[in-house]
Amino acid sequence: MADNWSFVFAAYGLAVVVLVAYWRFLVRRERELSEGSQILREGSGMSEQARHPAP
Amino acid sequence: MRSLLGGVTLVGLAAGLVMGFAIAPREATQGNVQRIMYLHVPSVWVAYLAFAVVLVASIAYLVRRAEAADRLAHASAEVGVLFTGLTIATGSIWGKPTWGTWWTWDARLTTVSILFVMYLGYLLLRGMIEDRERGARFAAVLGIVAAFNIPLVHFSVYWWRTLHQPPSLMKPGPGTMPGIIVTALLVNFAAFTLLYAYFVTRRARVLRLEAEAEA
Repeated sequence: MADNWSFVFAAYGLAVVVLVAYWRFLVRRERELSEGSQILREGSGMSEQARHPAP
Repeated sequence: MRSLLGGVTLVGLAAGLVMGFAIAPREATQGNVQRIMYLHVPSVWVAYLAFAVVLVASIAYLVRRAEAADRLAHASAEVGVLFTGLTIATGSIWGKPTWGTWWTWDARLTTVSILFVMYLGYLLLRGMIEDRERGARFAAVLGIVAAFNIPLVHFSVYWWRTLHQPPSLMKPGPGTMPGIIVTALLVNFAAFTLLYAYFVTRRARVLRLEAEAEA
């Protein structure tokens, strides 16, 4: 039977594209959310400082 | 810890590729196209594993109402859908040169498609219900019901006359594959299991951060 390498590369290529795309989605989403929560923490820290100014 | 898991996963995937392409021999009947097996079979293994985890985590959520169990079920279902889609696509690509068709309504292909649609529905259901607790409860019930499809998929090749071959590994009795092919397959099973663990860990963390951002 013919080796059909094109089918092998198509299958592995598709898997690489899909898995890397999902990994990038997870990394990007995690970074966005981590940055967002950091900004919120800093914001609440500032408001705390505003309420209780240092002497 | 997570970067260690990521590193080990990458090493595992590289080892799987070396085993599948350089160590395992060319298969006598199908030729080199059989190397798709080292991608297709571990993908369906991960799908089974992911949906089994959804079942256990869903039961745990209904019993204890622990949000971590709900997040685990959600993350695992998403990764399971990803790998089921990959299983269907790679199987179709493998089917064309070996069966002469991209698709046929064979029992195995049909039951896998139903599995895929059911868990896609599970993810849609979660997205549709705004009340988080209610959505988690409904999803847990669906996660338990949908898991009954897994044995149906696995045993479909025994219960019905199918074009799809019976399992080569996950079956009772002595194996029929040469040892080196089994080894290559097992290395890929391990690598894909690590990849599953890595994806689920990251996805569960994203879900936790999303919940915290909404609170």
